[in-house]
Amino acid sequence: MSDVMTAPLAGDDAGMAAGDLLVMLRHGPHGSSWLREGLEAAMVAAAFGREVGLLFTGDGVMALLEGQQVGPLGQKGSDNLLAALEMYDVERCYVDAAALRARGLTAQDVTLLPVTLLEHDEVVALTTAFSRVLSF
Amino acid sequence: MNLHLLNRSPFSSRIHDDVLNAMGPEDQLLLIEDGVNGALDNAEQHLAGLEGRLFALREDLESRGLLGRCAENVIVVDVDGFVALTEAADKTVSWF
Amino acid sequence: MRYALAVYGGPYSQQASHSALRFADALLARGHQLTTVFFYHDGVYNAANMMAPPQDEPHLRDRWLSLAENHATRLQVCVAAGLRRGMLDEREAARHGKQGHTLEAPFELTGLGQLVEATLDNDHLITFA
Repeated sequence: MSDVMTAPLAGDDAGMAAGDLLVMLRHGPHGSSWLREGLEAAMVAAAFGREVGLLFTGDGVMALLEGQQVGPLGQKGSDNLLAALEMYDVERCYVDAAALRARGLTAQDVTLLPVTLLEHDEVVALTTAFSRVLSF
Repeated sequence: MNLHLLNRSPFSSRIHDDVLNAMGPEDQLLLIEDGVNGALDNAEQHLAGLEGRLFALREDLESRGLLGRCAENVIVVDVDGFVALTEAADKTVSWF
Repeated sequence: MRYALAVYGGPYSQQASHSALRFADALLARGHQLTTVFFYHDGVYNAANMMAPPQDEPHLRDRWLSLAENHATRLQVCVAAGLRRGMLDEREAARHGKQGHTLEAPFELTGLGQLVEATLDNDHLITFA
């Protein structure tokens, strides 16, 4: 693995480091299993030694808000999975800044993970730099 | 160049905003399933700036009775053309 | 080119299975190879061996079977997503003390790692949800 691939933002011409698999999360916790199932795919890919990036966009940014709890019948949210990401060496986590703004949220609201905020051009560069994208 | 696949209607969610935000200047967008509602004349405002890069799947337009109701800037392709679009793309990103 | 498909939509609930099968036929007709279909999320129900649709509707499970039989396509079902939703092969059914089973060959219960491999080992992965 090259140094470029391990450095979060020290990238190529597009300003983004290349990687194997970008997992794009577009749904919030509880309402569906997309978020949990996407996070599980990201962890498995990392466990397989792949260079994984996570992009929170759309309602996926809701996954990063503090104060989440289990739902009715003990339904799990996603915060326990987020806490496990570091253990799986998933360290490249990005948030679509436009999705945050659209919801009246700021970087200060995003507390559950260390993330990099990306504007439009950077989101494009990120999806270009990774060889594959899985969306959830 | 990435191919983006959208299967949701722009009239029922804001998903098209997220798609456009992630599209590079060369990227292409193919509307399938309920996504073809975005090919209607009145949807043009939601998917602006995609001249020559906005496609809709013929079979899904036909089954919904929408084939004759597409905006002028929408390029209609059949499923064979769908495969051809994926061949030409570096990768395909699905939005749902 | 080598293709893999990921199917996340439930059969007869979403159009995803129909779209994926139509796309599969078209890519094979253009001379490509379909190595793998990976079923995840509600897509795991595509493997239900008790599926019994009315005769004038396509039998989606049988359509997947013909891909496996005629084109050696692997039909892989995420085991974690499958078990939660009651999709168990004979071995898992025995392990969980269940009568009968709901999934059988050529569908196979596999780990999520197979989705990652399918994504990276093929020229194209197309997701239908």
